[in-house]
Amino acid sequence: MENNISVIKVRNLLLVTMPPDPDDPTVSALQAKVLDAMERHQAAGVLLDISQVETLDSFFARTVSETAQMVTLMGGRTIIAGMRPAVAITATQIGLTLGNIETALTVDRALDMTTQGPKSIRQR
Amino acid sequence: MTMTSAPEGQVPIKSESDIVLARREVREIAAQIGFSVTDTTRIVTAASELARNIFKYAGQGVMHWRRIEKGSSSGLELQFIDNGPGIADIALAMQEGYSTSKGLGLGLPGVKRLMDEMDIQSSVGKGTTVTLKKWQRS
Repeated sequence: MENNISVIKVRNLLLVTMPPDPDDPTVSALQAKVLDAMERHQAAGVLLDISQVETLDSFFARTVSETAQMVTLMGGRTIIAGMRPAVAITATQIGLTLGNIETALTVDRALDMTTQGPKSIRQR
Repeated sequence: MTMTSAPEGQVPIKSESDIVLARREVREIAAQIGFSVTDTTRIVTAASELARNIFKYAGQGVMHWRRIEKGSSSGLELQFIDNGPGIADIALAMQEGYSTSKGLGLGLPGVKRLMDEMDIQSSVGKGTTVTLKKWQRS
């Protein structure tokens, strides 16, 4: 089963897709992968697609939250897209927080967010 | 992998990749028992937290799972057993926001909220056994 993080550049963004059930080293690799790609592609931000993710535990949540903070420090924006209903219910119940990271229902909506509104990446 | 109809089984936790194996096995069994997607996600998430606790604090241990029955309802019991350092103050460890390692300060209270029953037996220097139960809503 494919269990790697995929990072592709879409326009000026990085579309980062998480696999359904990543192990800890794969989750840990997220930070370096995303930050390297930010620099290499001079990206304006990161769109993290977690629509396949079936389990979001505290380790995963912490890593995502820290990665978003690092992307902010590099001048980028992070949007998390596609959290499944069961994952959202569980995350809230267990007390997980993703800080102030922006979220979107789907990758499509997240792309819309980047092309319109006051926080537009294009306008930067 | 586990036999589909087995009443119980176990997954040794010795490495980070075993946390994934524990999650997969719990997901499979929970689905077989007939838990909803949301309950299955709750159970798998709880298992992930406790399997990682074993790896992080004790180095190694084991997760036991068992199908359980009470009257007409069925459920799943998970036991996380290690011979690690143990928990000196269980009441403190159960306090909201308490965590001994760098984390979100969630741990055990969060796991308890995901499950129906939780029991912790621990003695310092001998180890810890955490027992979780989830009943299927009928």
